Amino acid sequence: MTLLLEMLSPDFLLRHALYASVAIGFVCPLVGVYLVLRRLVFLGIALPQIAAAGIAFAYLLHTVGVHLYPHQEEEQPMALTGSILFVVAALIVLATLERRGRGMVEGRVGAIYAAAAAASILFVAANPYGESTLLSLLRGEVLGVSLSQFWGTIAVYGGIAACVLVLQKEFTFVSFDREMAMTLGKQVVAWDLCLYLIIGLAIAFGVMTVGPLLVFGFLVVPPLAARQITRGMWPFSLAASGIGGATALIGFYLSLRWDLPLGPTDVAVACVILGLVTAGQVVSNWLRRV
Amino acid sequence: MSHSILIRLSGACLGHNGTLVLEGVDLQIARGSFVGVLGANGSGKSTILKTIVGILPVLRGQLEFPTGQPRFGYVPQRDTLDSAYPLTAFEVALMGTYGKLGPLGFIQRAMRERTMEALAEVRAEGLADRLFAELSGGERQRVLIARALAADPDCLVLDEPVAGIDQATVEVIMDLTSALHQRRAMTVLMVSHHILSLRGRAGEIVWIADHGLISGPAELMLSKEKIEEMLMSGGG
Repeated sequence: MTLLLEMLSPDFLLRHALYASVAIGFVCPLVGVYLVLRRLVFLGIALPQIAAAGIAFAYLLHTVGVHLYPHQEEEQPMALTGSILFVVAALIVLATLERRGRGMVEGRVGAIYAAAAAASILFVAANPYGESTLLSLLRGEVLGVSLSQFWGTIAVYGGIAACVLVLQKEFTFVSFDREMAMTLGKQVVAWDLCLYLIIGLAIAFGVMTVGPLLVFGFLVVPPLAARQITRGMWPFSLAASGIGGATALIGFYLSLRWDLPLGPTDVAVACVILGLVTAGQVVSNWLRRV
Repeated sequence: MSHSILIRLSGACLGHNGTLVLEGVDLQIARGSFVGVLGANGSGKSTILKTIVGILPVLRGQLEFPTGQPRFGYVPQRDTLDSAYPLTAFEVALMGTYGKLGPLGFIQRAMRERTMEALAEVRAEGLADRLFAELSGGERQRVLIARALAADPDCLVLDEPVAGIDQATVEVIMDLTSALHQRRAMTVLMVSHHILSLRGRAGEIVWIADHGLISGPAELMLSKEKIEEMLMSGGG
């Protein structure tokens, strides 16, 4: 209890890390609901890995002397640029192939995931300096989040949350019934692009802050839990977001309490919540039948 | 009932993903008519509908709306809608009003009221709070028709609305569509496998076979001899 009160105190030493991870916990599921509903969960695994490959590539360029941002401390901005560029490029490639309707979606996403995972390791291996720093960045360095990173995270995720909530009806409409949306004059390609860009941004920034594992966990597990206990898109989105935020808070507490790595702890908490919700549903259905 | 032409296809080649499905299509649909579209699986029935409502482009030839662009109320095939979405029947029907909404527009009370009216019109107001995915086939179909009505359409376009539904519910859906057609003097364009369910309801029949189509009054096109002829020629 003392630890919890300390965590919630405004003077808490790791408050920026706590607030950043809770913000990501609240916002990632808002985006993740569309990955779950569009049955693109596998994309939720692949994109964080692609973001990680982008970070590793940017660090490699930095190490060999290619500088995008001269005259400033540029590791973080360069890594972020790499993360965003790789994710956006992957989304454009996937969207283009999907429009042409060639091959299997799962096959394409799987191949890109394999390529990104291999590329991340190869970029790290090819980097003669800072391997440990880079590896910790790829795992997520939320505890070491700087003040500028913290405000950047709040601004980006606040913007993403606002966009997803304001545009929820459009995103839901074009996802649920593309053909009806077209007959009513909606620009479905533009809305798809907008949604994918938001997903890409959320993942690119999230991977920089908390790592690919936790981003994937926040994107997918809370929506899967919320889907079972809600009816209606607003309750679904808000419940998913609430579960994500609560997961981040509980995970942070458990991580501090027992000195556990934050990312895996958060994902484990999310999975326990999903398990409890599923068990509750099974029992509830059984009681209804009896 | 006005007989001005609402939709006209002239020498049109229709298809999707670069594949030609129908060629040289000439078809006129009069305002206020009830047109049934029949044909075998894969003959291009849905392709015609999707081209008319703007989902698919015309590959060659012309699609015209001589009296101005009509508002379509489109009822897609039920199976194309994913049951993973936790949408209530009301939320699904509300989508019909989104055509009047700009990108950042908020849902107004009038849109909610219009949606409830549309649900009531198809006797589905009691389904409003239920999950769409949990409804029966016939109930879902009524909600989808309500969604199309919520768009205040000039033309109701239904793609296989009675596929996979028991006969009693087929009659309910067909009677409902027929009543809407008469009450609102609304143009209805319906693709169906149920040849006999169109009898006494549709005024015109378009029969698709051999990459082309023939059309005529329902009494003629749904006569026993004509049905036999079309079935023998692979059109049913």
